Amino acid sequence: MPKSNRMPVGSVQCDNTTLNLLKANDFVAKAIRDRLPDVVVINVCSSPGSGKTTLMQETGKRLSDKLNMAVLVGDPETDRDAIRMKEVGINALQIVTGGMCHIEAQMILQALDHIDLTGVDLLFIENVGNLVCPAAFDLGEDIRVTVLAATEGDDKPKKYPRMFLTSELMVVSKADLLPYVPFSVEAATQDAREVNPTIEVISISSLKGDGMDDWCNWLLAKVDEKKKAKLATA
Amino acid sequence: MHEISIVRNVFETLQETYPDKFERITKVQIEAGLLSNIQPILIQNAFEALIMEEPQLADIELEVLLLPIIAHCAACDKDFEVNRHKFVCDCGTPSKNIVQGEELQISRIEFLEN
Repeated sequence: MPKSNRMPVGSVQCDNTTLNLLKANDFVAKAIRDRLPDVVVINVCSSPGSGKTTLMQETGKRLSDKLNMAVLVGDPETDRDAIRMKEVGINALQIVTGGMCHIEAQMILQALDHIDLTGVDLLFIENVGNLVCPAAFDLGEDIRVTVLAATEGDDKPKKYPRMFLTSELMVVSKADLLPYVPFSVEAATQDAREVNPTIEVISISSLKGDGMDDWCNWLLAKVDEKKKAKLATA
Repeated sequence: MHEISIVRNVFETLQETYPDKFERITKVQIEAGLLSNIQPILIQNAFEALIMEEPQLADIELEVLLLPIIAHCAACDKDFEVNRHKFVCDCGTPSKNIVQGEELQISRIEFLEN
């Protein structure tokens, strides 16, 4: 029998509430922030195959003499990405979500017990490749960054608005392919700014190096900002 | 995508909040802002799946209300509805000041009287 046809027997009492269904996640996200007061935590989101791991590898190489960086990398299966990062000397830990389409704050909190963050200034969380679900989960990050590869098409900011709405920076990756693919950085930027008027945009090529200085300087500025803010409140 | 965990979360939250009245719940209303990426039909399907595991929930009705996105324009000092995810007021001023649209909450519960 359809539920709407089922009449409750007896009188009904109502309760109006605002019980938040992401409360548990948000509570854990706060615990992560409290635990990492000296670390800039960046949640890196994108579609699968946009070049997040290559970007992490190249960023690690370029910043190794300037700051101490670590990466928590999430994938539904395998530890291949963490291995790729360790190969270039990055302090990395794999989070296997067991098929799940996003990382939740609880997974990060547990992972923090298995990675040495002594002296780390910058912690990347490389999220599961997915522009939908990860947008809804606060992982205790300071900043969210969305990577959009030139090969994905410039229409993604309008298709996945919440991801771009909650990101401080859009990185257009694989920019060395821009001459060969129908992707307009201007169109993508315009669409992203209709969703999020304050989003910043940097075009990069991890493999060729274009834009990597801008990206690294942006990261160094964020680390510097958090250190200064901490000194100011101390 | 993660509707199953959301539906589980609904009943865990209710069990925690109403340990004495949980068994008498007849209807639960959820409010989901359009930014929560929630699809009502997928919530219903996930609920049907959960009932197979927890048959005692079969008599509960679950309703999902979608809430439009409302932002506040500082220039006009008024709220406007965001259509097609264009966070720009009619006056041309962009705004990220979201008043409504991000919620994912249990908004109303009906119980059978004792």
